Amino acid sequence: MKKKIFQSILRVTIVILFISLILITGVLHNYFQKIQNQQLKEELALASLGVEEGEMQYLSGLEEHNNRITWIDSNGNIRFDNQADITKMENHSDREEFMEAIETGFGSSSRHSVTLTENTVYEAKLLSDGTVLRISMNQKSILALLLGLIQPFGIILILAVVVAYFIAEKVARQIIEPLDEVDLEHPLREESYEELAPFLKRIHYQKKQIRWQLEELNQKKLEFEQVISHMKEGLILLDAKDQIISINPAAMELFQTTLECIGNDFLSVERKQKLTQTIEKAREEGWGQTRFEKNNREYQFDVTGIRTEKGLIGSVILAFDVTEQKNAEKMRREFSANVSHELKTPLQSIIGSAELLQNNLVKNEDVPRFIGHIHTEASRLVVLIEDIIRLSELDEERELQKEELSLYQIVNDVLKSLQDKANERNIKLEITGDEGQMTGVYRLLHEVIYNLCENAIKYNVDHGSVRVCIEERQTKVGITVEDTGIGIPKEHQSRVFERFYRVDKSHSKKTGGTGLGLSIVKHAVSYQNGTVELISEEGKGTKVEIWFPK
Amino acid sequence: MRSRFDEQLMLLNKEMIEMGALCEEAIELVAKALETNNVEIYKKVRPISLEIDQKEKDIEARCMKLLLQQQPVAKDLRQISAALKMITDMERIGDQAEDIAEIIGYLNGENRNNSVPVQEMAKATIKMVTESIDAYVNKDVALAEAILKEDDIIDEYFMESKRRLIKMVAENPENGEYALDLLMVAKYFERIGDHATNIAEWVIFSVTGVHEEA
Repeated sequence: MKKKIFQSILRVTIVILFISLILITGVLHNYFQKIQNQQLKEELALASLGVEEGEMQYLSGLEEHNNRITWIDSNGNIRFDNQADITKMENHSDREEFMEAIETGFGSSSRHSVTLTENTVYEAKLLSDGTVLRISMNQKSILALLLGLIQPFGIILILAVVVAYFIAEKVARQIIEPLDEVDLEHPLREESYEELAPFLKRIHYQKKQIRWQLEELNQKKLEFEQVISHMKEGLILLDAKDQIISINPAAMELFQTTLECIGNDFLSVERKQKLTQTIEKAREEGWGQTRFEKNNREYQFDVTGIRTEKGLIGSVILAFDVTEQKNAEKMRREFSANVSHELKTPLQSIIGSAELLQNNLVKNEDVPRFIGHIHTEASRLVVLIEDIIRLSELDEERELQKEELSLYQIVNDVLKSLQDKANERNIKLEITGDEGQMTGVYRLLHEVIYNLCENAIKYNVDHGSVRVCIEERQTKVGITVEDTGIGIPKEHQSRVFERFYRVDKSHSKKTGGTGLGLSIVKHAVSYQNGTVELISEEGKGTKVEIWFPK
Repeated sequence: MRSRFDEQLMLLNKEMIEMGALCEEAIELVAKALETNNVEIYKKVRPISLEIDQKEKDIEARCMKLLLQQQPVAKDLRQISAALKMITDMERIGDQAEDIAEIIGYLNGENRNNSVPVQEMAKATIKMVTESIDAYVNKDVALAEAILKEDDIIDEYFMESKRRLIKMVAENPENGEYALDLLMVAKYFERIGDHATNIAEWVIFSVTGVHEEA
């Protein structure tokens, strides 16, 4: 700004200086020339009078430093010159001023000297005797005048530079000051140059836009952070150099690190070869997956390479806890193994008995016993298969008919049908509590209560007791089956609801049962959106508490 | 200039961690094979050991280049010289894991090592190696100092193994070859523990500038 102002001031000054210099010198030069020419002519007139009166005497009386006077005869030969040796001078008959004077009486001419800085002006007059008197004078040319002016001009120029500098400084400050004072935070609040108004308006508008966009961006960032921080899955974003850009709390917990790891290489957080190789694969092929154990849990890592037109810009690692899934897979495998085992055992027994009968290896009196054996084993198989079918029905979560029913009624029915079994071992059955009105599937509830009561009798001690208590509350109905039986050891309590899980590993036939009873209970209860709780102490008894929503 | 140097230091760091991860993997494989009597383990460990050797050469070349071209001083110099020493230890860990894998092959799936705490040794060694690399990654001097003490546990395990094996041979002289193989395994684990200790010492050196002589 200052520089520009300075330059323009200086430029204008120089141009004006030049123009005025040229004009002034031109005008002055012309004026002086005129005066000089006039003087020359007057002098010539005087001299010619002198020559006509006194001839040589007058001429030789002229002092040398006067203007040069030359007397030329009519043939052009020099008769006298007050400044040069006439013998060495050539004939002047071809000189312009001479010829003009011979013709018209007066002649004048001017000739530049070799250096161009001087100009010689000649005036000639024809005298009465036919001779010509010439007077000449050296004048400084316009160029010489200019050259002479260079020095003062230079001084003026330097002065102009200095003045221009200070003026520029001041002007620039004056111009800039209001500009500096413009409050860019609120560009429209204060008055300023009106030329700036569109500019300030634009700034104002853009500021508004920026603020708005920033807010939007922050909002989005916040949303994103909220989402990823509440994600159960671990999420890590890496840049193209595998440095961590973002990591969510789940991932921090998984890799046991803090926010400080952001900006570090991912290797410093986790250096497991499997994951490193998967990231490498994702960078090349776009996607990779791996699984490994970390902190005693099984995790699955999905890695995706992020590509744009510019190439790879980073990758995303998503970590899932697949421990449950792995356990479920394990349970499924165990289930199929158990099912085949459970189905095979009675079948083997049936085949064995049948083979003996077929080959007539059984004594006649033993035949009924063998057939009875085949019958019990076959019935066991049917019960088992029925249980499995029921379980898979529950697994499929088919919609079953629901109706209004009374838990008390069901318990009563169940206990009646189990009375004989209880009597065999002198076990007392007892029912207390409310009516237990609720909506549910009769078949399932019957099954749940039957299984629980059957277990309570089956795993009871002789002369023990089974108490069923029904409790009705505002929104839910509870049923508690309590026995005085053998109880379930602590280490088995969490697993008794698993399919085919038996506390008694020998799968003993003494108590019967398929190992599916409690599993069916659990599924049926969860079908009705209820909860099961098992409280048991080895040797003292078991209490199962179930709550259904009304 | 400096940013280029920093970038190269970061690459060096990355390669060191990768090499450490390879060592961990090698001894984890070996420990697992000991548990499951997997005779085939040598085939799996061998390529890892070769990769570790290759990494050692790469890192060495990188360190040399850095030393010559950048002429580092102070902390940078310590980091690079510590890296040069550490890779030797890591390479030895890889070799010893390979040696153990070879011996597992000789054991022919025999599992009589219940009497010798080789499993415990393997676990303690894995822990030490993992921790020493963690200490390097996080520049954690406190952890590195803790590792120095852990070495005593492994030494104790080795002495215990030796005592039990002597007893075993004394009772059943036909177990001699097996006992010797097992002693070798124990010795290798003990050596790996020593190398992990060395790494920890170099970590302390690279951070504090003081190298503890064990």
